[in-house]
Amino acid sequence: MDKHERWRGLFSHPDRLERWQAFARGAEKKIGAFLQFDPQLALADSASGGAPAANPLAGVPFGVKDLIAVRPFRLTCGSRLLKDFVTPYTASAVQRLQARGAVVVGKTNLDEFGMGSSTENSALGRTCNPWDLERVAGGSSGGSAAAVAAGIVPFALGTDTGGSVRQPASFCGVYGLKPTYGAVSRYGLTAYASSLDVIGVASKTVAWAREAFQAMRGIDPRDHSSAEYRPHQRAASGPLRVGVLSLGKGQGGVALDPAVERVWSRALKELPKLGFVLQAVEIPSLEYVVSAYYVIACAEASANLARFDGIRYGRRAPQAENPEELVRLSRSQGLGDEVKLRILLGTYVLRSGFQDQYYLRAQRVRTRIRQDFDRAFAGVDLVLLPVFPCPAFRRGDQGMDPFTQKLSDIFTCSANLAGLPAMSFPAGLEAGLPVGLQFMAPAFGEELLFEACTTFEKHFPSPDSPLYDAGWGG
Amino acid sequence: MHSEDLHVTAQLARLELSRDEEDRLEKAVSQMLEHFAKMKELDVEGLEPTTQLALENRLRDDSVAEVPDNREALLKNAPELEDRLIVIPNVL
Repeated sequence: MDKHERWRGLFSHPDRLERWQAFARGAEKKIGAFLQFDPQLALADSASGGAPAANPLAGVPFGVKDLIAVRPFRLTCGSRLLKDFVTPYTASAVQRLQARGAVVVGKTNLDEFGMGSSTENSALGRTCNPWDLERVAGGSSGGSAAAVAAGIVPFALGTDTGGSVRQPASFCGVYGLKPTYGAVSRYGLTAYASSLDVIGVASKTVAWAREAFQAMRGIDPRDHSSAEYRPHQRAASGPLRVGVLSLGKGQGGVALDPAVERVWSRALKELPKLGFVLQAVEIPSLEYVVSAYYVIACAEASANLARFDGIRYGRRAPQAENPEELVRLSRSQGLGDEVKLRILLGTYVLRSGFQDQYYLRAQRVRTRIRQDFDRAFAGVDLVLLPVFPCPAFRRGDQGMDPFTQKLSDIFTCSANLAGLPAMSFPAGLEAGLPVGLQFMAPAFGEELLFEACTTFEKHFPSPDSPLYDAGWGG
Repeated sequence: MHSEDLHVTAQLARLELSRDEEDRLEKAVSQMLEHFAKMKELDVEGLEPTTQLALENRLRDDSVAEVPDNREALLKNAPELEDRLIVIPNVL
C-alpha cells in the first residue's frame, strides 16, 4: 500500500487499526518515544470523528510533544514537577488537526521543558534512536522524531526554540519543519522562550509536513503573537537559487564531523543536477548566534518558568513551613539540572547592572543576525546549512557534554533568532546513521521549503530505519 | 561567577541548591558567561535591539469573551484542597 494511503481512515478500519496497534506497541517498547501512548484516549474528547472522510488527514494518527496541551492527556513537559498535571484544554494547533480528522495517539518524550539536544534531560523516560538503540534520538523533540522514524506515526508535532525539531529530525532520518515565527498558534504550548518558540512538525514525507502545517497555520484569536498567513512571493520565477553557507570560518570552533562533511559535499554536487542554482553566501554574525541565543532564551525562560511554584498545580514539596519555602522547595525538587542552569543564567543576565552587558547586547546582535539574512535573501530564494555538526551520538557520550551540545546549536538557532522558517531533510546515510541538512527561507516562505525538499525527496526519499515496517498496512 | 553571586541569583530565582548542585552549576554557569563575553567582539553600535518579532501590534476588542468553564478540572490539579480552597502553609 502507498506510503500515505495506509494511514488514511485508519480509525475506521478495525482490522488495519489492530495490526497497526500491535506493530506500534512493539516498536514503542524498543525506543520509548512516548510518555503516554493511548490511541483511543483523545478520540472520544475531540472533534476528530466529525471531519469528512475525504479529508487527507481524516483518521490519520499523530503524536504530540508533551510540551503541548491535549485533553485528556497529562501535560508533563518531561518534568517531575508536572508528572501528574492534567491539562484542562487542548492547544489550538492540535484542535485544527483534530478538526480535519487527525487523531492524537500519544504524547512524545522530550528534554524537560524543551531544554536540551538529546532527550536525555527528560525526567520521565528514555528515548532511543530507531537507527541504533545505543544512540540518542536528538532533542528536544526526540520522541516525536523517533516515533516517526520507527513508523509508529506518519508525523508528530514538536516545538523548535533553537533547533528542537530540526536536530532530532536529522538524527532520526526524517523531515523537520520549523515554521515562521507566528505562523502557527502557540495557544496551549508551554512557553520556554516566547520570542523564539514555534510549533513544528517531524514527518516521514514532505507531504505530511505540508498537510499538517497547512491545517495548523494562520491567525488565532487566542494567541496574539500569531499572524495572518500571507505566503511569501518569489521575486523571480525560474530555478530556485540556493545560497550555500560558506563553511570553515566563523564557526566559533565548531568543526563538522567527517560524516556530515561528506553528506554536505555530496548534496552540493547533487543539487545542481536537480535544477537548483547554487551560490555562496556569508552570514558574518553566525559566530555570535549561540551566545545571543542562550542569553535571550535563558532570560525569557527564567521569566516563563517562574510560574511553576507548586501552589495551584504541580508537585508540591511536602515539608515546607511557609509559602516562601514551599515555592523554593517545590522548584528545587521538581526541576532538573539543565532547567535550573538556564533559569540561573537567565536570572543572572537580567539582574540590575548586568542587563546592558548581556541581554541588551544580545538583542542588538539579534538585529545584526536578521540583517545578515535579509541581505542573503536579497540574492537567493533559500539558504542551505548543516543542521548539527555530527550524526546521532551515543548516550552519555563524553565528547558531547551539555556545553558542547549548546555550541552545536550554531546552525539551527539563527532561524529562531531571525524568526525565519527552516526545514531539515534527510540528505544521506553515513555508517548506518542518517544525516540531515536544512533549507532556510524568508518569512512565510514555507512553500519554497516544501518545493525544494520535495524535489530532493523525489530522488532521495527519507531512508527507512531498521525498525520501520509498513507490513501492517496489508 | 563567584559563589556569592550564585547564591543571590538562586535566591532571586527561588531555587535552593544543594552543595553538590552548587559545585556543578557554578562551573556550568561560569562556562556559559565566558561564552557570552564573545558578543563583545561584534560591533553593535547604533543597532536597535530586537525585542520581539511580531509584525504588528494587535489589540483585543474590549468585549466580554466566552470562556469554557473548567474550574473543576483546574481544581483537580491542586496539590491540597479544603472544600474549594487551595491550602498553603501558614503565612504568619
